[in-house]
Amino acid sequence: MRIHRAPWFWAWVAAFAAFLATWSISAGGGGGAALAVAALTFASFSVLTGLGQMLVITMGPGNVDLSIPATMTLAGTLSLKLMGEMTGPVWAIMLAGLVSALAVGACAGVVNFALIRLLRIPPIIATLSASFLYQSLAIWSNRGLRIKPPAALAEFATGRAILGIPNLALVALVISIGFWVALNRSGFGRRLSAIGQNPRAARLAGVPVARIMGTTYVTCAKMAALTGFLLACFSGGAALNMGAEFLLMSIAVTVIGGSSIAGGDSNVPGIWAGALFMYLIVSMLNSYGLGAGVRLLSTGVIIIAIVAVASGRKAQA
Amino acid sequence: MTRKGLLLTAALGLALGMPALADTAEKKIALSNNYAGNSWRQAMLESWARVTEKAVADGVVASADAFTTAENQATEQAAQIQNMILQGYDAIVLNAASPTALNGAVKEACDAGITVVSFDGIVTEPCAWRVKVDFVKMGRDEVEYLATRLPEGGNLLEIRGLAGVSVDDEIHQGIEEGVKAHPNFKIVGSVNGDWAQDVAQKAVAGILPSLPEIAGVVTQGGDGYGAAQAFAAAGRPTPVIIMGNRQDELKWWAEQRDANGYETVSTSIAPGVSTLAFWVAQQILDGQEVPKDLTVPFLSVTQETLDQALKDTPEGGVTNVDYSQDDAKKVIAESK
Repeated sequence: MRIHRAPWFWAWVAAFAAFLATWSISAGGGGGAALAVAALTFASFSVLTGLGQMLVITMGPGNVDLSIPATMTLAGTLSLKLMGEMTGPVWAIMLAGLVSALAVGACAGVVNFALIRLLRIPPIIATLSASFLYQSLAIWSNRGLRIKPPAALAEFATGRAILGIPNLALVALVISIGFWVALNRSGFGRRLSAIGQNPRAARLAGVPVARIMGTTYVTCAKMAALTGFLLACFSGGAALNMGAEFLLMSIAVTVIGGSSIAGGDSNVPGIWAGALFMYLIVSMLNSYGLGAGVRLLSTGVIIIAIVAVASGRKAQA
Repeated sequence: MTRKGLLLTAALGLALGMPALADTAEKKIALSNNYAGNSWRQAMLESWARVTEKAVADGVVASADAFTTAENQATEQAAQIQNMILQGYDAIVLNAASPTALNGAVKEACDAGITVVSFDGIVTEPCAWRVKVDFVKMGRDEVEYLATRLPEGGNLLEIRGLAGVSVDDEIHQGIEEGVKAHPNFKIVGSVNGDWAQDVAQKAVAGILPSLPEIAGVVTQGGDGYGAAQAFAAAGRPTPVIIMGNRQDELKWWAEQRDANGYETVSTSIAPGVSTLAFWVAQQILDGQEVPKDLTVPFLSVTQETLDQALKDTPEGGVTNVDYSQDDAKKVIAESK
């Protein structure tokens, strides 16, 4: 396998280039490690939402989950509220928080899929309208007040236990490996790709389309919920607008990473490249002192360039 | 003389104020709000509910209903205002999604004889009243404060708000004016924190490695705690960070003060400004002469008032104040 043919190759090149460009102007040269730590930390959130979104997008045209921000907010809000009210051993509180966040995610996923499957609403409309429901629930449940996470959880989320690597990055890495195995080495992954390539052929070949789709939407919502939980612990509490940037981010990292927006073809390493790139490009443009307008413009142009280069490669292959 | 003048004003106010209760008792006021998705807006709606509920119970107005659009879109809010015209409200208090895009709907409301009072997110349509904030001064004051704290000057990091929003431009303009007046300060970096802790933290963490030593951080509110976290995570000394009245910012400040005598200042607009706009609308309906442009006072927390402010601010909320009818009269009188 020639590595420059890999769908994620150009995204990684771009991420490294952005890193080096930012590092080269860092004061005293010691900024490289700090920049890498910051990039890994914040990319972890994008990776976790991106992995879920990637699975959904793999199912083919029209499949996208727009409820990710609202699910994040709802899961973060409810789980932190629960942990704030609990008393008892710290491990029990932390476990309850995590489990409740994942349960919120699972419920959101089931609702999303029920709207799509039972009411036959297109996924874009279904997940968008469901997101109003989740966001309203989050507002109603806590009126936007930030409840601090338990100290041990906050320490974990902001800590660097092994080799100075952020704990969050390790969590995201372990989950990514799980996703890679599921996509490339399991029946689930092959069926998912089959649906994305041709849902009719997949159904005729005996793929349980409804079950796979249901699992995918629930998984995506659970990933959003987990991200919301971790982000709330990381930043000292859940905020009502905490998920806002992850709607476009989760789609962007999927596409930049080389997964096909038409479905049926996805890859996990690209998600990391896309997430690191999206963080580093903003850091780079900030560090060079460009204003918000130029920054947004250059980000857009660079993303188009990467996608164009990557798809040009695909057309030749 | 001054005291006599005050008494006279008070007597005049009473004389004018008393029949006011009777005059607006049948009036219906609506709040048209474009966004509810953060803690500031939630506090704003709660203040509105608290103050107007009492006003309705006291018979000052007949009703004061709050409506929020789902999508923070000008088109949606224009439709909402048109509905309010049809529903026969006497006044619309407006926090607008856009300073210009709602002008058509606002004009329609004015033509229908409805009083429109915009606040926070104001509209430029001349027939509407504007309860506005001098954001340029807010930015200038930040640098003025830093100049008193750091007379020898130094490098500043600027955290801006949401790109493309007029408030962001105005605060930024004020900060630039301040830096021009104090040339020993230099803005060495600028990021967009979107008025959110986690976004600010993310952006600051990304630019810090490329920055020299930072003496002060100028902010727009809602981003100070995130900035502090980013400096701590990078292992850099904590600069003077201007805060924005959020409870987590105040709490962090109090902790730092107790640990190492940290000093700063915190300024923002009280979410209760919605209630000031409510009283202004009530005063207009009452037939008072009210100038079209009114300026809201800032709500500042200083080293001296920190403990009290922290006590009064709900856990995870924003420092707030509910305005009264007298506050509105005072603001109106000062603007004449």
